[in-house]
Amino acid sequence: MRTAFFQAIELVFSGNRQLINIIQVTMRMSLSSSLVALLLGVPLGALLGTISWKGKGILVIINRTLMGLPPVVCGLICYLLFSGVGPLRHLGLLFTVEGMIIAQVILLTPLIIGNMESHVSDISPAIRETAKGLRLSTAKTVLLLMNESQYQIFASYLLGLGRSLAEVGAVSMVGGAIAFKTNVMSTAIMNYTNMGNFTIALALGIILLVIALVLNIITALIQWRLRR
Amino acid sequence: MKTCSFTKTYGSHTVLQAPAMELSPGRIYAVIGANGSGKSTLVKILSGLLASDEKQAPFKEKPLCIGHLPQKPYAFRLNTLNNVLLGAAKMDTAAAKEKALDLLTKLGIETLASKSAQRLSGGETARMALARSMMQDYDLFILDEPTASLDVQSTILAENQILSYRKETGAAILLITHSLKQARRLADEVWYLQNGQIIETGTSEQVLYSPADARTRQFLEFYSL
Repeated sequence: MRTAFFQAIELVFSGNRQLINIIQVTMRMSLSSSLVALLLGVPLGALLGTISWKGKGILVIINRTLMGLPPVVCGLICYLLFSGVGPLRHLGLLFTVEGMIIAQVILLTPLIIGNMESHVSDISPAIRETAKGLRLSTAKTVLLLMNESQYQIFASYLLGLGRSLAEVGAVSMVGGAIAFKTNVMSTAIMNYTNMGNFTIALALGIILLVIALVLNIITALIQWRLRR
Repeated sequence: MKTCSFTKTYGSHTVLQAPAMELSPGRIYAVIGANGSGKSTLVKILSGLLASDEKQAPFKEKPLCIGHLPQKPYAFRLNTLNNVLLGAAKMDTAAAKEKALDLLTKLGIETLASKSAQRLSGGETARMALARSMMQDYDLFILDEPTASLDVQSTILAENQILSYRKETGAAILLITHSLKQARRLADEVWYLQNGQIIETGTSEQVLYSPADARTRQFLEFYSL
């Protein structure tokens, strides 16, 4: 473990091209997919939490089912859609970072919708009642609701980012873990473990943990500022 | 202002059956009744928050300007002054700020203007919400237990402010209250609700001191006015 740690430090500072590429692809995929999922999930979750409609319960159940979607199933569906015989083959997304981002967005969006829905369901009746009593416009009410949900939005982003960084199944199926193209930290760890190179796998794991730690500290600082 | 008659049922349970009522500008109407008598359902329908079974507007006249201070008003994640300014039609004007500070002073919470509204106590939140609701002029102002969480001193400040608001705006005020003493102090007319039905209406003298209906008498005796 000690050797792996020092080897990880050595790798980071050695300017190893492959490692830098792995980190770049990981960050590009994780930051993009969690951001897109956030942009889709926050308004959809807020809408689901606000509406009082008979079919709402069904939509919530569907979303909760999708929250538990196994990554390999998501990867399989995306693979079939993007592969040479799939309906979206002309987009050329198989074994690309863009394809991996799409797969991640499919996995992350239901999580963010569910997180936002449960939060907004709690606060929206009181906000709605107060805003209606003050004769506020719908746009202003939505802005106030979003302002009240700042903390939850960051929490949702953190949830998505954490899941995205750690995910293996879908990205390895859609991306193929191609060196210098679609290999990310998690798939690289899996590949090096399969090759018996535990030291490098451990080193990559430590780097992944440090990245997750730094991102979490940044998010916690933002949340702390928002709470004050 | 004339209301339509309306009902509200949940499943087979009728929670409110209200006849057509009339409200005059500049008068205060106290709605009294035990818990679950239908008071909150009545104000929610009148303020447009809840649809009646008839699915029609509760008032016969053109759209009225109705303000509603709910039983549990929400303190937004802003400071107290900005929360109050939310109630103004144009919140960025100097006049709105002056009015907001004046209301906070009259309600005894001017020193809390820059404090986060979510850190106010229950009583302070109630006074902030009252000030916020009074930033606009309404045809009908509905207040759902506005002093339930206030101490005696703050209740007097709030009641004085409600009377001032009526005088300045000429609005009809519908006040939901559990305090018969408050109804006596403020109301021109009293509506007594029981099991979703308006049992008795009349001037506060009539209803509170010489009620015509035995059920009203029983309720008043229980509360020992």
